[in-house]
Amino acid sequence: MNRFEYLQPKDLNQASQWLADTDKITLPIGGGSDLLGLIKHHITEPQALVNLKNIAGLSEVTFTPGQGLTIGSQVKIAEIAENQTIRKKYPVLAQAAEQVASPQLRNMGTLGGNLCQRPRCWYYRGDFDCLRKGGDLCYAVGAENKYHCIVGGGPCYIVHPSDTAVALLALDAQISIFSAGETRTIPLDDFFVLPETDVLHENILKPGEIVTAVHIPELPSKTRSAYIKFKERSAWDFAVVSVALVLQLNGKKIRNGRLAFGGVAPRPWQEAELNEGLTDLQLDEQSVDEFVSGAFGNALTLEKNEYKVVLAKNLIKNVIQELSA
Amino acid sequence: MARTTFIKAKTFFEDEQQETIAEVPVERIKSWEAGAKLKVVGKAVPRIDGYDKVSGTAQYTFDLTLPNMVYARVLRSKLPHATIRSIDTSHAEKLPGVLAVISQKNTPEIKWYGNSFLFDRHVRFAGDEVACIAAESESIAEKALALIKVEYQELPFVVDAGEAMKKNAPQLHSEGNIQGGKPFAYERGDVEKAFQEADAVIEETFRTQVAIHNPTEAHCSLVNWDGDKLLVYDSTQAVFNVRDGIANSLNIPASHVRVIKQYMGGAFGSKLVAGKYTVMAALLAKKIGRPVKISLDRREMNVAVGNRPDSVQQLKFAAKKDGTLLAMQHKSYGAAGAYPSGAGCSWPLRTIYQCPNVKVEEHTVYINAGPGRPMRAPGHVQGVFAMDSAIDELAEKINMDPLEFRLKNYAEKDQVFNIPYTSKRLKEAYEQGAKAIGWQRRNVIPGSSTGHHKRGIGMASQIWWGGGGPPAAANMKLNRDGSIQVLAGTQDLGTGTYTIIAQVASEVMEVPIENIQVIIGDTATTPYCPSSGGSTTAPSVTPAVRDAAEQMKQKLMDAAAAMLNKPVRDLTYSKGLVSARGDSKKLSISDIIRQLNERVLVTTGYREANPEGYMINSFGAQFAEVEVDTYTGKITVLKIVAAHDIGRVLNRLTLENQFEGGIMQGLSFALMEERIMDANTGLMTNTNLHDYKLPLITDTPQIEVIIVSETDPMISNTGVKGIGEPAIIPTAGAIANAVYNAIGVRLRELPMTPDRVLNALYA
Repeated sequence: MNRFEYLQPKDLNQASQWLADTDKITLPIGGGSDLLGLIKHHITEPQALVNLKNIAGLSEVTFTPGQGLTIGSQVKIAEIAENQTIRKKYPVLAQAAEQVASPQLRNMGTLGGNLCQRPRCWYYRGDFDCLRKGGDLCYAVGAENKYHCIVGGGPCYIVHPSDTAVALLALDAQISIFSAGETRTIPLDDFFVLPETDVLHENILKPGEIVTAVHIPELPSKTRSAYIKFKERSAWDFAVVSVALVLQLNGKKIRNGRLAFGGVAPRPWQEAELNEGLTDLQLDEQSVDEFVSGAFGNALTLEKNEYKVVLAKNLIKNVIQELSA
Repeated sequence: MARTTFIKAKTFFEDEQQETIAEVPVERIKSWEAGAKLKVVGKAVPRIDGYDKVSGTAQYTFDLTLPNMVYARVLRSKLPHATIRSIDTSHAEKLPGVLAVISQKNTPEIKWYGNSFLFDRHVRFAGDEVACIAAESESIAEKALALIKVEYQELPFVVDAGEAMKKNAPQLHSEGNIQGGKPFAYERGDVEKAFQEADAVIEETFRTQVAIHNPTEAHCSLVNWDGDKLLVYDSTQAVFNVRDGIANSLNIPASHVRVIKQYMGGAFGSKLVAGKYTVMAALLAKKIGRPVKISLDRREMNVAVGNRPDSVQQLKFAAKKDGTLLAMQHKSYGAAGAYPSGAGCSWPLRTIYQCPNVKVEEHTVYINAGPGRPMRAPGHVQGVFAMDSAIDELAEKINMDPLEFRLKNYAEKDQVFNIPYTSKRLKEAYEQGAKAIGWQRRNVIPGSSTGHHKRGIGMASQIWWGGGGPPAAANMKLNRDGSIQVLAGTQDLGTGTYTIIAQVASEVMEVPIENIQVIIGDTATTPYCPSSGGSTTAPSVTPAVRDAAEQMKQKLMDAAAAMLNKPVRDLTYSKGLVSARGDSKKLSISDIIRQLNERVLVTTGYREANPEGYMINSFGAQFAEVEVDTYTGKITVLKIVAAHDIGRVLNRLTLENQFEGGIMQGLSFALMEERIMDANTGLMTNTNLHDYKLPLITDTPQIEVIIVSETDPMISNTGVKGIGEPAIIPTAGAIANAVYNAIGVRLRELPMTPDRVLNALYA
């Protein structure tokens, strides 16, 4: 691990100013559960870290009737998993938080960090000078790519590792970003980028920009939601494929719904066409099977990840069954 | 009369039969019989070092420090295959805090891996050692590594055994890529004739992966010179191997090297010999005159200090309609890695089932990857998976219950050496294991259960050696206050050696276990015991401990006889007191030692010879119940029943620990862990414990351990067979057969990860 300065800003403005300093590599630190690993493995070698944990106003969960829920970026993942309002009103998010990593990591990790964590691709994390680290090759192509993406890939084929992002996308969340004294709020969907746009980053954040909060609209009563994360071992593992579904039922039909996926693309993924297909979907087995069979028809699989298409389809079926039971 | 004599001793260590001349006691102590009423041995005695470990006062090698200690780190080749043109260490040497750098430039040629060197100009895998740095801190040493400039001549590489066997493959050694120049061969009967006469023949190829030992505690050593004497604290399974290896490498007398190992966080076969890192630390310590600590990190542990070789096994089995097994043919190859190792896996097939016609041909192949080392039941884990899968396939082909098929072909004696076993209770293991799992509940038609959670039951068999044998010795020191020290040059890998030695001493001497101290793993003070591998520690060492204790008891009786002026035959020993028939006077240990005007009585006990003309093997069967989610391909193991014949149980708690650990490692091999080599670069992709997946507590099934044996009195005075390796052997095979029973599709490649299950189900 390299030596670095550890900076304690008194407020967001100061943090933002420090982070905007491009003369030296300066990174924000929340729980550090991802960042410390990156530093230890020399993926990044920051000269300064700016601690966000003590900045006032970033660690609250607030529900306002009529408006919805706001979660500060420094709220711990464990708190999201345990928060009674979230568990009741947005079970999909609580379930996603509950399945992040391990209890120790959930106690340290923050929502902001979870959304901004770097990919787990073993070429990116390992001793390979890959595209995402500024190299000129994606080593996953024609190689060990069973965990890599099936949609949205090229020229890099990572998958985005966040669980909470998938749930938040299905919840149509917005994200607030602070920079130079101002906060702007944008759809979470616009926050993440594909490698074809920017191969070095997974989101739009520029130096000096800080994620301050996430907002989820209030949902119609009787909304149902769930998150299913498929991982190879029962705990402390990233999703091979995960799916979040938020829907309203209308008798034996889905009135409307929104699906989002993890583990399939370089960013938390959703497909407008697929979501449109949920509207008025009959919940009999044949209709659901038909709907599922249409999913991921656009997948461009690599040598070793074709199974993810089957897996994603099965998880869609699974989550629809779970929410319509 | 001499108490000991010398015999030709045959023992199995791992899969190697070893013959040595060994010192053994002239008089064999009668083994505790079945039904003997023992008070301490066999009981669930908590570990005597449990408090120290739980409270954190137990110091593992990794925890140790010495005054003025410095740290060393190893520079490893980043290329899978190259020759070194030049090494420039000058920049590294100039970094403040760097104390010394050694490499092939300034180090004498020290032989390693047979034909290679401690620092070889020819590096054969990404991870091969190039240089070593000592510095004031680990991070300075780490930083200095990046300052060493190495100019390589890159060579073509190969990281797959199948590719390495091809004609134009890059060569690692002058002998070619097949170790020894030719395959190992074994044959009995005539398999070709049997295939023609058979009613059913199956021919399938099975594959298993490279697995890494990944013990909890890192490979590490702390070394310090005192003049020309070297003190080494090492995390090792074999203090005497390490001592002799270092003495030999440094060309100094073995008497000048003292190796100590007290507590240890596991090894599984990866710490059986002196490490290159230990010798490098000793060289650096000599150079700078300060203690040097060297600890490998997780990445180094994954690439450089051993693994279980992979296997591709082509099996062809034949049977008659009535269930008679006619022939088994095994052709296989596996990757040794870059240096000599053993990838054979046919041992169980040669012996476990009655079969007149057997043919084996196995290749151990060099590739540009980390060298193999024995790993918990080498060969057997991968061998049994393939063999017992194929046995199930053959049984199905003749419409026979797989358990019935195994019983029909039960071997009453060893078929390789054609001699009887000292004991074999595999039938009882089959019977009790089947009952415990509810064998009749299995799907008559595999895959026939409905829904997307499909359950199935399967089983596999186990054979292993683990009888131990001489030479092994133990000293007992009895103090005037009746307290005892037992000294033996063995090791506790975390298995409970400390506790079982104390139990045996306590049993014989009838002294409370709290008054017994066990000192092991110190080449300067403890008498020789063999490496702790091959499941031989308990069966080799505990009889020597009992011999030392029985001699001590005899010594007290002899002394008391002189003091009381009575014949020894009129004396009895009970709970530390000697009494004479018809005499109310009792002599305590203190009374006797005080009258002798001694402070400490000492005896030396030896492991007796194994019986001539018998094979010593342990046996067992494991039964697995699994659930397969056909939506996700995830296999969940619900229950494992382990029914084994392992002679006498010394301690029920440590026994169950061994089974739990072995079964979890077997489950992991079946379902999760796998070294993944990137064929384009020759680098391992998953060198950390996130990407190299090991199971967690939430993946743990219900485990039921049934021991069908009471003792094996023919082996030794304690009647013990080792259990470390038997515990893991049949687990993967049992799970594989259970998976087939659940889904009706046969998976012939490990690990059975969800992608492979889905690919098989949706093919």
